[in-house]
Amino acid sequence: MTTQENQFDRIALLQGTLDLLILKTLVLGPCHGQGVAREIQRRSEDVFLVDHGSLYVALQRLEDKGWINAEWGVSENNRKARFYRLTAKGREHLVEKTGEWRRLTRAMGLILDAGSELQVEEG
Amino acid sequence: MFRRKRSKEDFAAEIEAHLELEAEELRREGLSEDEAQWKARREFGNVRAAEERFYVKGRWVGLDKFFRDLRFGFRSLRQSPGFAVTAILTLALGIGANTAVFSVMNAVLLKTLPVADPGRLVYLRTSNPPRGTGTIDSNETFSYAVYDALRQEQGALTPVMAYVPLSGSKVAVRYGTEPEEAEGEMVSGTFFSGLGVSLPRGRGFSQQDEADHAPMAVISYNYWTRRFARDPGVLGKTLFVNGVGMTIVGVAAEGFEGVEAGMSTDFWLPLQDRPELNAWGNPLEDGKNYIADPKWWCLRLIGRLAPGAARAQAVAQLEPVFESAAYIGLGSPKDGAKPPVLSLTDAKSFPGYDAQYGNPLRMLMAMVGLVLLIALANVVMLLLARNAARQREFSVRLALGAGRGELFRQLLIESLILVTAGGGLAWVFAEMATRLLGQWAEIESSLAPDRTVLLFTLGVLALAGLLFGLAPLRVALAGGAELALKTSAATSNADAGKSRAGRIIVALQMTLCLVLLVGGGLLIRSLRNLENTPLGMKVDGLVVFGVKPNFRSVPEGKEFYANLMSKLRVLPGVESVTVMDERLGSWWSNNSAMRVDGRLPEETNGASRTVRWNVAGPDFFGTLGVPVLAGRDFADSDTAKSPMVGIINEEFARRFLPNVNPLGHTFGPDLGPPIAVTIVGVVKDHKYRSIDEEPLPMAWYMYAQIPVVGAMNVEMRVHGAPLAILPAARKVVQGMDPNLPLIKPMTQRAQFDTTISRQVLFARLAGFFGILAVVLVATGLYGTLAYRVSMRTAEIGVRMAVGARRGQVVWMILKDSLMLTAAGVVMGVPLAMLVGRALASALYGVKPLDVASYLLAVAAVALVALAASAVPAGRAASVDPMRALRAE
Repeated sequence: MTTQENQFDRIALLQGTLDLLILKTLVLGPCHGQGVAREIQRRSEDVFLVDHGSLYVALQRLEDKGWINAEWGVSENNRKARFYRLTAKGREHLVEKTGEWRRLTRAMGLILDAGSELQVEEG
Repeated sequence: MFRRKRSKEDFAAEIEAHLELEAEELRREGLSEDEAQWKARREFGNVRAAEERFYVKGRWVGLDKFFRDLRFGFRSLRQSPGFAVTAILTLALGIGANTAVFSVMNAVLLKTLPVADPGRLVYLRTSNPPRGTGTIDSNETFSYAVYDALRQEQGALTPVMAYVPLSGSKVAVRYGTEPEEAEGEMVSGTFFSGLGVSLPRGRGFSQQDEADHAPMAVISYNYWTRRFARDPGVLGKTLFVNGVGMTIVGVAAEGFEGVEAGMSTDFWLPLQDRPELNAWGNPLEDGKNYIADPKWWCLRLIGRLAPGAARAQAVAQLEPVFESAAYIGLGSPKDGAKPPVLSLTDAKSFPGYDAQYGNPLRMLMAMVGLVLLIALANVVMLLLARNAARQREFSVRLALGAGRGELFRQLLIESLILVTAGGGLAWVFAEMATRLLGQWAEIESSLAPDRTVLLFTLGVLALAGLLFGLAPLRVALAGGAELALKTSAATSNADAGKSRAGRIIVALQMTLCLVLLVGGGLLIRSLRNLENTPLGMKVDGLVVFGVKPNFRSVPEGKEFYANLMSKLRVLPGVESVTVMDERLGSWWSNNSAMRVDGRLPEETNGASRTVRWNVAGPDFFGTLGVPVLAGRDFADSDTAKSPMVGIINEEFARRFLPNVNPLGHTFGPDLGPPIAVTIVGVVKDHKYRSIDEEPLPMAWYMYAQIPVVGAMNVEMRVHGAPLAILPAARKVVQGMDPNLPLIKPMTQRAQFDTTISRQVLFARLAGFFGILAVVLVATGLYGTLAYRVSMRTAEIGVRMAVGARRGQVVWMILKDSLMLTAAGVVMGVPLAMLVGRALASALYGVKPLDVASYLLAVAAVALVALAASAVPAGRAASVDPMRALRAE
């Protein structure tokens, strides 16, 4: 019971980012879960190591929210897989969230780079 | 979202697919088959955990837990079926009785008239009609002249509506060929529109219909259902009422059955103006019907207050109109005569019901309330006992890490199961009980539980559920986790403090039980007295029915009855036949002052001069079996041509002709035609209206000699089963007029019994609830004692091992319950005395402090206590000391 609760906490921390990463990955086209995981890993230059269990729960959550939909299909190497596709609603959400992230990272950057602020004043 | 579209199998398949895809990719990257499989799995992490997260995420977790608790609750109740069944039945009886009585009370006392905006409806009442009038009810009925004057007065009541039954009981109708009987009323043209009763089919009446006395009828939804099977084609068909054809033009809204208490009107006609359809089915008086006769106050009036008009304002406006209309046809009021005063009373609920059923119902409600208390206390005690026995289980669960919240939730769920099952069963009980109650009480309007009743029951159930969940929680938590470590039954259960609550509950139950038994006992003794009241006649073997023939003249009517009697007399098995105006034992009587030897008798200190009178046929007293003390009975030889004769009872002679031989003296009505009849007989006092009446002066006219004739009741004395004569009698009546049904045929005994039906019902119910209380208390006591004995097995074993004799052990157990009984009796007797005082008005021939009833109740309670203790005491005595100690 208790261990499970801790896991939830961790997901909660990751939730915003992971959702955004999944949606972004799906912009390129329909993809199955394993492909999404690989893609995130590859594009983040292996900085993000995606927990696969969390990934599938997140995919399900996004599907429940109507941001993506899914259907069983056949992969490029002829294996059965569940393919996810971004919905219009999901695309909207992605745009909105991306904007938020940009603002957030910029603000974080402004604060964390406070030292360079002086330089700017000087300059 | 309780359930998602996607199954957990589908999710598992997706993970499986992922693992394969990943392994394949790893293989391509150069890993061996086994390594790839292993690495894919390791990278994924815990597959099961992901699946569980998926499972948990898709649900409302609370609901899931709820179902789990529910399953657990069922399982744990199934382990003790005796407990579950007892608790559920106890609840069902307690709550069912309350629901039933409340639903009757709701229908009778609380429900409003099924009309639009009942808050603005008022009944019209009067203090006293002027002298010289005849009334149906001296406060509630008015003359047509008054109605006509009031309805023309604009601005106060818009409109004033009149309604009047076509008969005191039922009226002959015919639809097709078979004659039958139904309840009908004549009403104003404004009746339906003024009350705001909708007519889902057809139409109501208009003021023009009333003015034209249009031959049309509206039938009630109930009658439409019962008689016409909801045939929509009934509109436009003809319903013959007393032989007069009426076109059915509408069906009233479901649930509307008139505005009179206890009646269910089957059909309504606009006010009619013809001899066959006089108000109350009365014969014409001096050739006048209710419209033409301003001296007959027979219409009931109901009005709707005009918007903005206050009640006092309306009365002030109407009073002068009313006063002048009241004297129409009577001349100017005599000096000093009190003018009649008009008043308005709330028409929100049914009138008369409260007077008739109010007190008994409130009393019954209090009784069933006590029964409910006993029942709830029982279940609480059962739960306490059961949960105390499960303390080990709770402790183990606490020790294993269950939260107190979880324990509480589980207890609540168990009580929820009990309460739901008990409540469902209670509702079924209540449905059946109200149907029976309606039949017994002869209340024709619907008593079935409605939404208000449902809310009431749900409220009681919710309360019970919470109580049952909370009460045992204390015990469950009191143990704490450390109790699991103790293993001795003796140490874990010998906590005296906990059983004190149980003892108090049992003593209180005894108290309530005693109160119920005393109340029930008093009522049942009253009933015995009523049932054994001598009627003053040989009532067995008598059968009675009404006929309401139409005739053009009085002699024709007299001839009809003479013919009818002579035809009925020759039927096989018939001993004698007679007729009467008012039926005996029907609550009806003719009452008026009488002139004796030409003048009103002097009465000191304002004693009533009222004489009850009736119109009777030949051989009247012979047929009834009433002894003739002096003179003779009426005979066929008393005709319109022979001298007018009358008969009086002992009371009449004692009051108005004391110390003389009454034979040869005369009596006659105070008002109306100047008739004086010669007394030819004196009969023994006997009952007229009802069983519980006191002897009153009575007088009888001979039907063949008076100048009116109308509907009559036929009384027959037959050999064998009285009702078996009815088919033959029906054939005779219909041979004379195919339009005539037998109206309310029944034995005379049954007819008299209707006058105590309320008391019978009340007493039976009170007795039933008393017995129910006894049964509940007995089970409760038995349960508590049995549980206490089983808890004390070890202690008893020790006692016996150190030398206690079996008798001493039995006495120890019995003493316990006898002390509880004594405490209950001490508290119960004063309470019962209070209840007895409250019941006083419902008692007949029994004093509220009837010693026998109290002694019987105390004896019964003691007996219950002993009976309930016997088994546990016996069990205690048979404890084997060695085994009891070894069990430790």
